[in-house]
Amino acid sequence: MAEVEFDQASRIYTPGAKPAVNRLDLIIDDGEFVVLVGPSGSGKSTALRMLAGLEEIDAGQIRIGGKNMVGVASRDRDIAMVFQNYALYPNKTVGENMAFPLKMRGVDKAVQQEKVKAAADILGLTDYLDRKPRALSGGQRQRVAMGRAIVREPQVFLMDEPLSNLDAKMRVSTRTEIAAMQRRLGVTTVYVTHDQVEAMTMGDRVALLKDGALQQFATPAELYDKPANVFVAGFIGSPAMNLFTLPVGAEGVRIGSSDLALPGSLHSRISSAGQDTITLGIRPEQWAVGGDNGDGAGGVKAQVDVVEELGSDAFLYAHLDDEKQTPVVVRSAGRSGARRGDQIALTPTSEDLHLFSPETGERL
Amino acid sequence: MATATPERTVTPAGGDDQQLNPKARRSVGGTLLSVLAWIVGIGFFFPILWMVLTAFKQEADAYTTPPKLFFSPTLDQFRAVFDAGIGPYLLNSLFATVVSTILVLVLATPAAYAVSLRPVKKVQDVLFFFISTKMLPVVAAIVPIYVVVNDIGMLDNIWTLIVLYTAMNLPIAVWMMRSFFQEVPKELLEAASMDGASLARSLREVVLPVISPGMAATALICVIFAWNEFFFAVNLTAARAATVPVFLVGFITSEGLYFAKLCAAATMAALPVVIAGWIAQNKLVQGLSFGAVK
Amino acid sequence: MTVTAERPAEVTPRRPDRGPGSRADGWIRRAPLLPALIFTIIITQLPFLFTIYYSLQSWNLVRPGSRQFVGLDNYVKVFTDSQFRQVALNTVLLTAGAVIFSMILGLLFALLLDRAFFGRGFIRTLLITPFLITPVAAALLWKTVLFDPTYGLINFVLSPFGAGQTDWISTFPLTSVMIALVWQWAPFMMLLTLAGLQSQPHDVLEAARVDGAGTFAVFREVTIPHLRRFIELGLVLGAIYLVNTFDAIYMMTQGGPGTASANLPFYIYQRAFLGFDIGQSAAMGVVVVVATIIVSTFALRLIFRSFSGEES
Repeated sequence: MAEVEFDQASRIYTPGAKPAVNRLDLIIDDGEFVVLVGPSGSGKSTALRMLAGLEEIDAGQIRIGGKNMVGVASRDRDIAMVFQNYALYPNKTVGENMAFPLKMRGVDKAVQQEKVKAAADILGLTDYLDRKPRALSGGQRQRVAMGRAIVREPQVFLMDEPLSNLDAKMRVSTRTEIAAMQRRLGVTTVYVTHDQVEAMTMGDRVALLKDGALQQFATPAELYDKPANVFVAGFIGSPAMNLFTLPVGAEGVRIGSSDLALPGSLHSRISSAGQDTITLGIRPEQWAVGGDNGDGAGGVKAQVDVVEELGSDAFLYAHLDDEKQTPVVVRSAGRSGARRGDQIALTPTSEDLHLFSPETGERL
Repeated sequence: MATATPERTVTPAGGDDQQLNPKARRSVGGTLLSVLAWIVGIGFFFPILWMVLTAFKQEADAYTTPPKLFFSPTLDQFRAVFDAGIGPYLLNSLFATVVSTILVLVLATPAAYAVSLRPVKKVQDVLFFFISTKMLPVVAAIVPIYVVVNDIGMLDNIWTLIVLYTAMNLPIAVWMMRSFFQEVPKELLEAASMDGASLARSLREVVLPVISPGMAATALICVIFAWNEFFFAVNLTAARAATVPVFLVGFITSEGLYFAKLCAAATMAALPVVIAGWIAQNKLVQGLSFGAVK
Repeated sequence: MTVTAERPAEVTPRRPDRGPGSRADGWIRRAPLLPALIFTIIITQLPFLFTIYYSLQSWNLVRPGSRQFVGLDNYVKVFTDSQFRQVALNTVLLTAGAVIFSMILGLLFALLLDRAFFGRGFIRTLLITPFLITPVAAALLWKTVLFDPTYGLINFVLSPFGAGQTDWISTFPLTSVMIALVWQWAPFMMLLTLAGLQSQPHDVLEAARVDGAGTFAVFREVTIPHLRRFIELGLVLGAIYLVNTFDAIYMMTQGGPGTASANLPFYIYQRAFLGFDIGQSAAMGVVVVVATIIVSTFALRLIFRSFSGEES
C-alpha cells in the first residue's frame, strides 16, 4: 500500500499539439479512494494508463510509494487494474484467470489456490472457478476481474470504468460493493469514470479533469458546495447548476426585467471583487418557488416549459421572461401541481450561491 | 381455483380454427425457395458426385449411353491408380504441403504480429507490399526461376517447390493472421503485462490460445493452395519430386483417357484438400480475401 | 487543492531511450517482420529483375552460345507478334468473363442461402466443393466426363433438346475453359457475397421495413449498397487469381486449336518451355507485369479501401 503522486505529469501524443494530460498534479494518500472524472477526451483514462505504465510519462513524474515510475514497466509497478471490458483471458477458467498474476510472480501453487479461494469467497465466485469467462454473466465477469486484482494484494488498484458494461441495477449494487471492499482492504485506489454519480458516491476525493488539465481535486461535498470554476459547477450536479452572467446593480443583480436582491454577504463579495458583471450560479434546489398570486413578490419571473415529476420531488424546466428567454431549472416539492405554461416567481433561498468571474470562470 | 383467469378462455392456444397470418402463408414461397436451393446445390455438386461414382465403376460401365447410375462398385480403378505409381507423388505432395505450410506459419505469425498488435511504423506499406506480390503474375517470374534453379542444380527437387510454395502462401497468411491478431483485445495484453507477465510469456499464455483457431484455418488454406499448385510443379519437377497434379497429367498421357481410371485418380488427388476445405469452410473467405471479409 | 485551468504549457517530452519512438524500439518492432519480408523479397521480387535483364537478350536454350545482348529487340517482336495480341485479348476475355459470370452465379447462390432452411449448411458445403477440387482434376473432369462428345454428361443432358454430339472443347475452346472456371469460382464469389449478406446489420434492415420498404426495395436500397464493397472485392480478388489461369488451359485445350484458347501464362509457358526462347518469354513477362501494374494500381486502390474497412 502506498501513496501515489502525479508530479507535473504530462502525456504528449504529438509534440507541439495539446497534451492529452497536461502537467497533472495529484497527491493521493495511502489507502485513499480517488475518482478521476471528466467528460470524454478529458484525459482521465490517459492519466490512469500513465499510472499503470500503459502510456508513456512524457514529462514530469509519477511516484508510487515515493518511487519514480518513469521507465518502469507495468509488471514491476506492483499495481493491479480492472479494465472496462474486464480483459479476462478467454481460454483460462475463472480460477486460472485469478491465479494468473500469482503464477507470473512465481507464487507457490498451494498459496495460489488458497488466495484464489479466499478472493472467490469474498466475491461469491466459489461455484464458478472451473468455468470459462464466456459462460459467465456480465456481473460475474466483472467480479472475476476484481478478483484477479484482489489476489495480487497490490500497492494500488486501478479501475477504468469498471461498471460501464453493467446494466443500471447491477451498476448501483456493484458500486456499493466496490466501495465497501476498498474500504475493507484499505488499498489505495484510483478509479476512472465519466459518471458523476459514481464519482460523488464512491470517492474519498474526486479529481475533475477537462482537456487534460485538472480542474479541481477535492472531496465530493466540497466539489458540490464550492466548485472551483464554472466548468466544475456545470459538471457536478444533476440537473446542472443554473449559471447566469448578469450586470451588477446597487442592491444585487439584474435578471431579465427584475432586480434580484442578493443577501448582504454575497453582495459584499461581489463589491470586493470589483466586478460590474458577474456569473451567478444557483443550483436547482437553491430556488424557492412562488406562484403569480403574490407570494413570490420580488422574485424572478419565469414560465414553466416542462415538469419532470420524480415522486419525491420535481424538476421544473422554465425560461425567464427576459429577451433571451434564458432557461432555468428549479427543484420543487413533488406533486406541487405545477404545469406547463404556469407563471412562477423564483427567489434564491440560500446564501451559498456561487459567484464566478465572467472573464476567467474562476470562483470568486 | 374457482376464479379462472378470463384471458385463458379468450385465447385458444394453438386452435385449429385459427386464421393463418400472412407470414405463415408466405412460407409456401419459402418452401419453394428451399427446394430450389437443394436442386441448385445438388446440381452444382453433381459433376463431383459423378466423378466419385465413376471411380467405382468398371470401364465398361463408364462408357454407356445413357450413363449408368446403378452398377456394381469395384475398387479396381483405385488399384490401377496405385499400380501406376501414385504413391511417391502423394508423398511428394504431402511433404511439400506440410513443410511449406509449417514454414509459412513460422514466418507469417511473427510478421503478422508486427503489423497488428505491436505495429511497425509503415504498416500500410508493408501490407501493400505483401499483397502486391500476389498481383504480379507468376508466369513473369518462371523464366528466371527456372534458370536459377537449373543453375544451382535444384531442378526436380522437392525443396524448390517448398520454397516457392512458402513464398506463394506467405502474403495470404500474413494478411489472414493479421486479421486474427487484430481480434485480440489490446486490453488482454495490457492486463497480462500488469499481471506481471513478460512479453514472451503473455504472447504464449494469452495471445497464442486466442489466435490458435485462426492459425489452424490459415494452415488449412495454405494446405489447399500448396496441394493444388500445378504451374511450378509441372515446370520445375520431373520424375523425382513431382506432385499429384503432375501425376494426373502423366497418367492421362500414359494410360489414355479411360474415364473410370482417371476419375479414380482425380478423386484421390482432390480428396485431401476437399476435406481440408470442408473443415476450414468458415474461415475460407477470410483467408482468400486477405482477411478483408470475416 | 485547486489548479487554475489553461496554464501556458510548453511541455517538452523527454526523449526516451526505450519506449515508443526510440531507435531500439523501432528495431524490436521490426524484428519479427524481417524474416518474412526478406524471404518474400528474395523469392518474389528478385526474379523480376532477372526477367528484365533476360528480356534484353537473345537467348535460346536449344542453341547454346546464342546468348547475346539485343536491347529492345524482343519487345519489338512481342508487339509485332499478332499471336501475342490474340493471346492478350483471350486473357482479358477469359478473366473478365469468368469473373463476371462466377460473380453473377455466386450472388444468386448466396441469395438462395441467405435464409434459414432445412439442410442449409449441407447445401453450402456442396456448393463450395468445386472450389476446393484440385484445378487439374477439375479440368480433367470437365474435359472428359462432362464435355466428351459421345459419353459426356453435358451432351446427354442436352440430347432431349436436339444437341447432338457437339465437341464442345474443339468447337468452343475458350468458352469451355471459361465454363470450367466459372464452376470452380462461383463458390468463392458465393462465400464472399454470403458473408456480405450476413454482415448486414439487422436493425438497418428492420428500419427500412418499418419505413415502408418492400422486399425488393429493401434489396435495392439497403442490400445492394451494402454488398457493393463485397462485390468489388470479389471481382478484384477473382481477377487476381484468374488472370494466372494455367491448369485449366493446359489440361483441357493446350491453348488450341492454334492459339484460340491460350492466355498469356500459357503462351509464355509455351515460348519458354516448349520453344526454349528465354529472351522472348522474358520480354512478354515484363509486358505482362507492366500491364498488371497499370491495372492493379486502380484495383489496389479499390481493394485497399475495402481492406481498411472504410465505408465511403
